Amino acid sequence: APPTLLTLGPPPMEEEQAYLELYLDQCAAQDDLAPPRSLLLSPVVPDDGYIPNTSNSETVFNSHLEEVKASGHFSSVDLSFLPDELTQENKDQSVIRSKQDIEENCETPGQQSRMLLPREQDVGLGLISGSTLLNSHSQVYPGDADPVQPSPEKPNCTPLMSITPMTPVTPVSECSGIVPQLQNIVSTVNLACKLDLKKIALHAKNAEYNPKRFAAVIMRIREPRTTALIFSSGKMVCTGAKSEEQSRLAARKYARVVQKLGFPARFLDFKIQNMVGSCDVRFPIRLEGLVLTHQQFSSYEPELFPGLIYRMVKPRIVLLIFVSGKVVLTGAKERSEIYEAFENIYPILKGFKKA
Amino acid sequence: MAYQLYRNTTSGNSLQESLEELIRGSLNIYRFCDNVWTFVLNDVEFREVTELIKVDKVKIVACDGKNSGSNTTE
Repeated sequence: APPTLLTLGPPPMEEEQAYLELYLDQCAAQDDLAPPRSLLLSPVVPDDGYIPNTSNSETVFNSHLEEVKASGHFSSVDLSFLPDELTQENKDQSVIRSKQDIEENCETPGQQSRMLLPREQDVGLGLISGSTLLNSHSQVYPGDADPVQPSPEKPNCTPLMSITPMTPVTPVSECSGIVPQLQNIVSTVNLACKLDLKKIALHAKNAEYNPKRFAAVIMRIREPRTTALIFSSGKMVCTGAKSEEQSRLAARKYARVVQKLGFPARFLDFKIQNMVGSCDVRFPIRLEGLVLTHQQFSSYEPELFPGLIYRMVKPRIVLLIFVSGKVVLTGAKERSEIYEAFENIYPILKGFKKA
Repeated sequence: MAYQLYRNTTSGNSLQESLEELIRGSLNIYRFCDNVWTFVLNDVEFREVTELIKVDKVKIVACDGKNSGSNTTE
């Protein structure tokens, strides 16, 4: 039976480890030939001993497409992956590597074409059967508003044929085992009614309003610990939450405060505008080396700012990389972009480990 | 000084210092409107050399000005 697709809603527990597993499960869940978790645990089968049944896979996969389209939450879906003939140094590693090779195959140049180009150099992957899967798969990006990012989630992915410069891919990729922690979420919502800011500032708890300085009420709540900027138009910005759900909950609480003050507040068009994450690679980094080899993406002016600013193209994330090994990732609209960006940068950073 | 703090909050990336104060200390409510700050603190100790006054609730109203701001407690 095909494994059930997991929707990309945040789980109740704020365990980052759980999030990483969820992310990897969703990647693995696309494999209609084996249950998700066992993929990471089972040994890699040599290619000749593992030939998927194309028609079978396609039918099953098409049913996946229906699920994906229905779910609506997925903006990027991973492919069913096929094990390859790589030696089994590391079960995770080989699993991820084969995923990456699949990704390299499915990666389409530019924004236009979504047709798959089977690659002859990836011989050992049994992709003839895989390519039909990939073809049908490549049309499915239900919630993906951004045509530039047709690629599914994967630990390490870059298109090799592309006009725009892309972050170079290293052939050997490893799951980093590090999960970036979300530090800040900025979201907006429309309360859809004009607001009397002075009245709000006078009657609400924990509010500041200095119209000479800034034309909004600044309100804070303890749980979730957030700050809101409330404008007279009825629009509101909510900052400081550590997860998507918390940001939404906080915004709802602010809306309720405004409602209780007598305004007909609604909760329209809630949208997460930015997500910030951070993590530690646990080794020092040679930033000067990194800026030399990745100059299209990096800017490093130690006299201005001690961190290297890396503007990753895919996903479109900005990373602040410090000598200490600490990394800040920002600019994401979705959690998966943060994870993907970090998995992309990790092997590159390892290449610039100090001494 | 106060404006510097304010500038942080208007950028939307506030340090949430007020909230940290809320969690750490006994600040219950704060308000700033018409250039007047109002604070309500709970379980406060006023300590003077000779005396110690404990109080459940303190309301501080402070105005900006060249002379010292006015304070009232209840």
